[in-house]
Amino acid sequence: MTIAREQGYRPGLVDMAAGQISREIFVNEGIYQQELERLFARVWLFVGHESQIPNPGDYFVSGMGEESVILCRDRAGKVHVFLNSCRHRGMKVCRYDEGNTPVFTCPYHGWSYGTDGKLVGVPYFREAYHEKLDKSQWGLIEVPQLCCYKGTVWASWDPSAPSFFEYLGDFIRYLDLTLDGWDGSDGGTEILGGIQKWRIPCNWKFPAENFCGDSYHNISHRSVDLVGIGPSGSGRRDMQERVMARRLQVSFYERGHQTGVYLFPKDRPTPPSYQHSPVVSEYFAYCEEERRRNRGEWARLIGSPGEIFPNTALHPRQPRTIAVWHPRGTHQTEVWRWYLVDKAAPWEVKDFLRDYYIRYSGPGGMTEQDDMENWNYAHAASRGTIARRYPYSYEQGLGYEVENYQSEGLRIPGTVMDITEAKSSEHNLRNLYRRWAEFMEAESWDELVSWRRNSQSRAAAE
Amino acid sequence: MSDPVNIRQIAPGTKIALVDGAVAEIVSNPADGVWVFARYLSSPGDPARVGSEDMIFAQDIVEIRDDGE
Repeated sequence: MTIAREQGYRPGLVDMAAGQISREIFVNEGIYQQELERLFARVWLFVGHESQIPNPGDYFVSGMGEESVILCRDRAGKVHVFLNSCRHRGMKVCRYDEGNTPVFTCPYHGWSYGTDGKLVGVPYFREAYHEKLDKSQWGLIEVPQLCCYKGTVWASWDPSAPSFFEYLGDFIRYLDLTLDGWDGSDGGTEILGGIQKWRIPCNWKFPAENFCGDSYHNISHRSVDLVGIGPSGSGRRDMQERVMARRLQVSFYERGHQTGVYLFPKDRPTPPSYQHSPVVSEYFAYCEEERRRNRGEWARLIGSPGEIFPNTALHPRQPRTIAVWHPRGTHQTEVWRWYLVDKAAPWEVKDFLRDYYIRYSGPGGMTEQDDMENWNYAHAASRGTIARRYPYSYEQGLGYEVENYQSEGLRIPGTVMDITEAKSSEHNLRNLYRRWAEFMEAESWDELVSWRRNSQSRAAAE
Repeated sequence: MSDPVNIRQIAPGTKIALVDGAVAEIVSNPADGVWVFARYLSSPGDPARVGSEDMIFAQDIVEIRDDGE
């Protein structure tokens, strides 16, 4: 931690005024260890989806930071998230990825826990413990805060963290772009099949910043665009709708969330999409009409990659996915990617999307392979003694962001950078690191809920 | 001493003899290789347990009883 103490996170390592960030925050072991305490033990993290655990006794082993957790539904139907570690000697009590069980049993000495986390089985309880062990004090460690929202499950290890909804603030509108049905119905999505997991030799912040809305790296995907993996046969996505829209980058300064969005002009029809399959194309045309009817003016907003601070990536449109960048040491990231489809969609649509999604994303996805190559080598080339002396540049578009952005009567929540003409900006990336630095310096959540202080100040001024 | 019982394969309804002389009937089996849920049919050392259900530790199971005696 020498470097952090000497330079401080703000403005030493993360200099937002200059738009420069030290490479140390990506490669320094001490900083990484501090991240586990100051970020991952305090923030809200995406754990899984309720459709993965529909029945009592269902479980899915997930992760929070470096640690394994069990997402499960108990016999009464209540959702829990437990640390996957026996209270006796720490062994994992669940070593499967998912399944259904009445109990989680430690294979080491045999302590056993119900799906509600209670310690129910202790070998030789009568003989060796003389029935004196207080089982009620030795249940699985449960997260103090958990929130289920439109099927997604989120948790925080910090009892003093604000509620999930306060943590999101108005950003929830952008999360909805991933979780609502294509027709705009509330939470109309489900997870398609299993999830993909793989490891990349880079710090977790490389993919995190990429998914904040880094459109500058499109050149990396030019080969994929040339191949034409998109659902209508050209490019990697259906681009007609994007061409006619305004391209925005939206940041929430006080919370650290950010996303790209596309804003349609008023009263313009949506161009056709998914033209490789008449059934799928027809389905999406129908959904788009319904979405406009359901969402009104807000239907003009369509999603683009974004990030819920710090490590949950949203990819709301083509393909529709959620990714978590699990830290696995300073120099390694484990990616977990969930794929979402409309619950009510015909199977032909789900099957078409499955094929398109994994052609685009995941370890075998052609677009994601481009990204991984960049993150891998950028990280490796930043670890050297000489390389570390030179910061990265995040100056693009600095000072051109706008509060209270409006377009044809629609006000967009957040601080906005309109990149329709500028093509690109690092506005959202700066926001990620601004919030990152605040977390790394703050001693408690009291210092991090600036919106509460600001609303009190506004109220006092009025 | 008899061979260890592979408790993962014991089906509900099976009767088991325990190390303390008790006999119990399997109610359910989580197949974790460590525990089974069983109802006591007899318990010479503690007759009050007869009829009650409990988690039985694998190491406490001596053998499978075909006749339940």
